[in-house]
Amino acid sequence: MAGANESASSYPEPSPTGRPMIVTENVTKWFGDFQALKGITTSIAEGEVVVVLGPSGSGKSTFIRTLNRLEPHDGGRIVIDGVELNDDLRNLEHIRSEVGMVFQSFNLFPHLTVERNITLAPQKVRHLPRAEARALADELLVRVGIPEQADKFPGQLSGGQQQRVAIARALAMRPKIMLFDEPTSALDPEMIKEVLDVMRELAASGMTMIVVSHEMGFAREVAHRLIFFDEGLLVEEGTPEQFFEHPREDRTKLFLSQIL
Amino acid sequence: MTTQSLTRPVARLTFARAGRWVRKNLFSSWLNSLLTVVTFAVIAWVGFSVIRFVLVSADWTVVEANRRLLFIGRFPKAEEWRIWPALWAVMAVGGAAYGRWAPFARRDLPVIALGLLFVFAFFAEGTAALLVGVGVLLAAAAYLGGRFVARDERRAAVASRLILIAGALLLPVTVVLFTVASGVRTTLWGGLLLNIMLASIGIAGGFALGVPLALARASTMPVIRVTATTYIELVRAGPLIAWLFLARFVLPDFLPPIGPIADLHIVARAMLVLAGFTAAYVAEVVRGGLQSLPHGQEEAAQALGLSGFQTTWLIVLPQALRAVIPALVSQFISLWKDTTLVFGLSLLELLGASEAAIAQQRFIGRQAEVLLFAGFVFWLVSLTMSRLSQRIERSLGVGER
Repeated sequence: MAGANESASSYPEPSPTGRPMIVTENVTKWFGDFQALKGITTSIAEGEVVVVLGPSGSGKSTFIRTLNRLEPHDGGRIVIDGVELNDDLRNLEHIRSEVGMVFQSFNLFPHLTVERNITLAPQKVRHLPRAEARALADELLVRVGIPEQADKFPGQLSGGQQQRVAIARALAMRPKIMLFDEPTSALDPEMIKEVLDVMRELAASGMTMIVVSHEMGFAREVAHRLIFFDEGLLVEEGTPEQFFEHPREDRTKLFLSQIL
Repeated sequence: MTTQSLTRPVARLTFARAGRWVRKNLFSSWLNSLLTVVTFAVIAWVGFSVIRFVLVSADWTVVEANRRLLFIGRFPKAEEWRIWPALWAVMAVGGAAYGRWAPFARRDLPVIALGLLFVFAFFAEGTAALLVGVGVLLAAAAYLGGRFVARDERRAAVASRLILIAGALLLPVTVVLFTVASGVRTTLWGGLLLNIMLASIGIAGGFALGVPLALARASTMPVIRVTATTYIELVRAGPLIAWLFLARFVLPDFLPPIGPIADLHIVARAMLVLAGFTAAYVAEVVRGGLQSLPHGQEEAAQALGLSGFQTTWLIVLPQALRAVIPALVSQFISLWKDTTLVFGLSLLELLGASEAAIAQQRFIGRQAEVLLFAGFVFWLVSLTMSRLSQRIERSLGVGER
């Protein structure tokens, strides 16, 4: 992770290639009588880093959870890297192994060592030999800056370390897309930076990322595009500069005035 | 401990310190002093009475004379050789497991001491002593072997697998050993041996059946869920003794007329009932464990692309089972004591054998000795199970919190 502590501007800005990685068309989602998503249409290019903002209950978390079908969508289309997400189980398993996810509460497996947390899916899903999986885990732990913790259990690590293990675990599947659902919200302030640093490095390496977050500094610095959700609608999207300096919609202005 | 000894000299237990401890903990107030005195008086009196009874007034010849009956019931003398290899196998696997996973701890000393006392009190002479001695030596050797392999990670991993496989084979091998080549009909199994066989099969079967039942009850498929729920609620609605009676008088009419199934021995039917009964309770205990898991665990597994089966097998079940070890073991201890209920099927398990011994003309009035003996055996086994569960809990709890 050497270098990740420097500011992101020292990285060559990886420009999105324009090849669409995620395409959503009019995606809707209901929880009983409550409509969480009211028709979301957007497209995210390969290598693009998108930060999703919005007040709580706006549907932003639900939206990224539909992208690997942790929440099945009720209407519209979701196409991930050319494969449509639907009831077809083969598509689902394929997509889930291509899309990594990092959760707010880490969700590491507490009964497995850090290394086993990372090697489990590559061995069981990708059928990687054990030695290769271990080598991969060691490499990823170095990348997220905690190489010495492989044999510990998650409960023995700090929150920031756990979240970095969770990122390594997701990366071990060599995903094409990484989803982050409020990755720093459960962390103590002094641990937020170490996680954001890892994410910066990941963004600089050209990963396609969708990040639900309230970290405005990160959004301004790393995101290619911001998307603003409110009441289940995609209200506004734009570059960080457009978004923060010249918001068009009233709801966006209101939200920004509340959090900045 | 080490850090402490670096900063100050190791504290010695002196009379002054002991005195302070006693004053602070036992005589801190007027009421506390009174309670201390009364409690100690009661303990002393009970202890004295028990020791006096055991060593002075009791006449243990009734147990001595009925040793066979109490331990193996009507198991034919000519077939006794079938028991020893099974016992040795159990002792060897137990010793190896103890050495591999749980280096000797002082807290285990009472259980081991009681076990050895038990062995020496009843198998001190003749061929039996020799044969038990072989078992003890095997267990000790296996323990040392277990300690030895535990030092090397790779050998320990191989040994773990071997010990677990051997442990899983113990029960089937024992059953085969008892019955193969015109062996002993199950109806002749008796005494402590029968309790152990019934409980082992009840535990193994109850667990093997109970876990899938719990998963079935948590299933999203209605047919499976309703079937499992119906079974569990039905079984729990009746007392075990009622199910045993049903197995004796009603079950034969319901068995399909296919070869050996048609005329299941009464013991096999008892095993079936014990396993089926325990399964219902195990299922509910395990369901509690499944519900205690945060939903995020399943989501994380799914997000990594693990299949539903892999998620259950690798992520959900290990955590759920670990969370319910205490409740499971208490279910198993309760099953262990419930094996005495097979007297309803006129089977001569330990308690039934005790009653038979009491009924003998020459031992009239010796109930206390026999029942105390039976009670001691049940207690010793329960204590062992409880210690075992604490050990398993602790070694699985590594890294939690």
